[in-house]
Amino acid sequence: MISKISENLDKWNSRQFITTLNDDNISQNKKSDNLKKFPKEISSIVGDSKIQTSKTESSLLFENSVIFKISSKFDSKIVVEFVKPSRIKIRVDPANIIEIAKFLNHELGFDHAESVTGTDYPKDNQIEVIYHLGSYLRDDLAHLVLSLTTRTDRDEARLPSLLPVYGSVEYHEREIFEMLGVYFDGHPRNERFLLPEDWADIPPLRKEFHIKGR
Amino acid sequence: MENFDYKINDTQKLGLEIIKEASFDDRLMTLSVGPQHPGSGHFRFVIKIDGDYIVFCDPDPGYVHRGEEKMAEYRTYIQNIPHLERPVIHDSTNITYSYSLAVEELLGIAVPRRGQFIRAIASEFNRQIYTLYWLAIYGIFLGHSTMFMWPAGDRELFIDLMEALTGARVTHAFNIPGGVRNDIPNGFKERCLRQVSYFEKRLNEYEDIFYNNPLFRQRTEKVGILTKEDAIKLGVTGSVLRASGIPYDIRKVEPYDVYDEIDFKVQYLKTCDSFARSYVPFLDMKESCYIIKQLLDKMPESGDVRTKLQSNVKGQSGESYKRVESGRGALGYYVVSDGSPKPYRVKISVGSFRNILALPHLLVGSKLGDMPAIYWSLNYWPVEADR
Amino acid sequence: MVTVPKKFGFGSFVSSILWLVFWIVVIVTLVGLPLIFIILFYVPLPYIGDEVLTPYLFFSMMVDPTRTIPIIKFLIHTDIFRVMVFPGFGYAAIIAAVTIFVERKFLAKMQLRVGPYYVGRWEGILQLMADGLKLISKEIIVPSGADKLLFWLAPVLFVATAAAVTALIPVAPGGWVVADIDVGLIAVFAILGFFPLIALLFSWASNSKYPFIGGLRALHQMVAFEIPFILSALSVVLVAGTLNLTEIVESQYLYWFIIIAPISAFVFYISSLAELERIPFDLPEAESEIVAGWITETSGMLYGLIQLGTYLKLYALAALFVILFLGGWTGPQIFPEEIIPGYTGEKIYNHIVINGIFWFTLKTFGMIILFLLPRGISPRIRIDILLHTGWYKLIVLCFINIFAVLTLIYGGIIPTGGILQ
Repeated sequence: MISKISENLDKWNSRQFITTLNDDNISQNKKSDNLKKFPKEISSIVGDSKIQTSKTESSLLFENSVIFKISSKFDSKIVVEFVKPSRIKIRVDPANIIEIAKFLNHELGFDHAESVTGTDYPKDNQIEVIYHLGSYLRDDLAHLVLSLTTRTDRDEARLPSLLPVYGSVEYHEREIFEMLGVYFDGHPRNERFLLPEDWADIPPLRKEFHIKGR
Repeated sequence: MENFDYKINDTQKLGLEIIKEASFDDRLMTLSVGPQHPGSGHFRFVIKIDGDYIVFCDPDPGYVHRGEEKMAEYRTYIQNIPHLERPVIHDSTNITYSYSLAVEELLGIAVPRRGQFIRAIASEFNRQIYTLYWLAIYGIFLGHSTMFMWPAGDRELFIDLMEALTGARVTHAFNIPGGVRNDIPNGFKERCLRQVSYFEKRLNEYEDIFYNNPLFRQRTEKVGILTKEDAIKLGVTGSVLRASGIPYDIRKVEPYDVYDEIDFKVQYLKTCDSFARSYVPFLDMKESCYIIKQLLDKMPESGDVRTKLQSNVKGQSGESYKRVESGRGALGYYVVSDGSPKPYRVKISVGSFRNILALPHLLVGSKLGDMPAIYWSLNYWPVEADR
Repeated sequence: MVTVPKKFGFGSFVSSILWLVFWIVVIVTLVGLPLIFIILFYVPLPYIGDEVLTPYLFFSMMVDPTRTIPIIKFLIHTDIFRVMVFPGFGYAAIIAAVTIFVERKFLAKMQLRVGPYYVGRWEGILQLMADGLKLISKEIIVPSGADKLLFWLAPVLFVATAAAVTALIPVAPGGWVVADIDVGLIAVFAILGFFPLIALLFSWASNSKYPFIGGLRALHQMVAFEIPFILSALSVVLVAGTLNLTEIVESQYLYWFIIIAPISAFVFYISSLAELERIPFDLPEAESEIVAGWITETSGMLYGLIQLGTYLKLYALAALFVILFLGGWTGPQIFPEEIIPGYTGEKIYNHIVINGIFWFTLKTFGMIILFLLPRGISPRIRIDILLHTGWYKLIVLCFINIFAVLTLIYGGIIPTGGILQ
């Protein structure tokens, strides 16, 4: 395990530009055309890396080396939202997500999806879906959780399903379908899962759905 | 007889076709197992059986869905704690543990060292409490009523300790962002050591009466084999994963609070069957006793147990994903903050919800008699999965 | 409607009693006495000893209680007493009731708990009565589409069949058995064969899925275990040379047959557990798999009847084990010839019979405890392992013991055709 880490570190040290990867500017430089529709304010809500204070930037070497591997392949297709100890968040376009997920699974060794979360952002009129990916087989990646994020339009929420890549997202995507109304193309069962059979309301985790009396 | 000309007229043909189709359907019997079935819990799965073999399985959770994630968006960070522990009241310290870790990251606060130790002790107690309850139900699912009564009785040892520690028997609301609610009472350490060493003796008796029972072995060995590849593909966690030969424990791979100072082994087996899945939690209990003793030993004698927070503390905008190892595996909280006193989004990523994906995979092709042995070995807690 | 009681007055109280007495006298004189005379005229009075049981003799017993002894003796030698009280249904039902209580307390002690504790003064002794009352007061729900006749009939048949088995069990020397027939052993097995049939009928009649699976399981279990069950008794029959249960017991006056047929005894014990549907063989009622098996749809007293039948069956099979392998009522004579020293009147009790009943009951209870024991220490077995055990292992074990017994007989070590000759 240690040898693998040091190997990665060596690789990382040979690169110059990753030292600037923590700046938010680098992601803007890399933005491609299809990512431009994401508004800039998102980074004010999500993606603030100031919070982590316990570890210095130099201890994020390993995380950055992982990001380098991804960005060297999908240079303009990913946006790095933040890098924190053991946590990476990258944002991709829905069109590229299966391709990138396949790369993450088969090449990098993120072999399972821990959880899939949907978050509603009515301000941006978007719904964010986050795949928290982890690795069981590779010891050096075991502590790392990579958040693969994509966003879709709120009014016509449709995303490609990651079920062909990660078998473990089956029930999670079903849950997001009923809780946030995101239709997953390629998922065999976009149906009710946890909610009552007679549920006849909007998807409950959308922000315009309010708990009674609140 | 050979000269006998056997002709079928049209009506008979139609009849035979009907019988052919009907007999195919007649072979299969659809059973709705749960939620009133004694072998399901608050959970339902529809199975189809062909004779004694299960050919189809469709889990249908949601009978105890309470919308914890939605409720959490309407309450402040501290108000959220009592209701977020409701999904697993037996493991309530662990389910609030990762929430506290995530909120601490968002609020940017640190926990005093003594508070970290007390947290770890409480979460180990809760792991024991949960696993004993799980083991009790596994016993009664296999018809072993003594194995129901013994763990249910010995659970009281830890429940009493938790009562002394927190003041509540089951739902403690003990972990809060910034530490724990209160310090340990006087004489707690001695009492704790006495009860834990008694419990270790009892564990050997469990092994004698249950795990070494030839009938139990017959029922669980080589039943419901979840191979390593399938376990990774299905993304199972906790004891199910470790029974498939992958030594993955959050306490080891991503140590939180004081677990990096504790010496323990990740318990795992390579047989991948129901027996391994039922034996790994038992080994965990043994290891947990060892951890508790170490924690009590290394705990600083005095000091603060919590960092005081302002009322309605506001977090920086951002997000945090923290995991702990609960009784059912990795338990993660994804908390998004927009700078207000209330979280913008709380997602509970629970082990049960991940493990239940293995149920149709394992049940299809196995026998009806193996159903309880497979189902409950998945370490599934229906209430937690529904949230 | 609420009845308001009148204000109590002593005068009206006395007058009401007098009024009651008046009416009793009138009715006895006008109806009772003529009825007694008619009965006495037509019904021949029984002979007690040498005397006719006249009303005078009957009333004189109040003065001399020893005169009732002949009447009691006469009563307990009637067939109706044997069928209803001893050694028939009443005795078996009492043992069944005690068994239920003992099972609950015994299991509770094994599982480090108290068991029934509050009903009754001592250790929850009246718990069974409370449970029975609860069951009687419960509504009986018949599932829609059920075969009503069979649904009501099957629990009654179940108890009747269990009682029929107990009728064949001899409990003491001197013909203390309801039906002493020459093919007693075959009759026992024949009647036991009815149980899976009743289970299947009932499961079919309740028009439900889980009972149906349970009924099929009961049938499978019966087919797999009936053969080793009968074969295990065969080695005993070979030695005893008779099928009559009383004679089988009498032929064990030298030694118990468990000494020469231990494997058969073991097989008999295992098959009995399977016949009784007790853990580890309670597959027809496996609750975590098929809810309650074939009794899923029972409710109220129908369930109570089936439970009663199950415990009667438990007594019958334990008694059968005692008769076949443990020498029945044979045992050292521990009761004295007279219970009151120096008593010279009418003989009150037969010390040999009492001794036989004592030893028989003791052994039977020991066997019942052995039947209860696996429930505390063992999980449930799976159906394919169960069938494999029945077909492959137990039958082979039976044959081993049969050949051993045959070798002993033809080697001249034990007498051919039984010890009686």
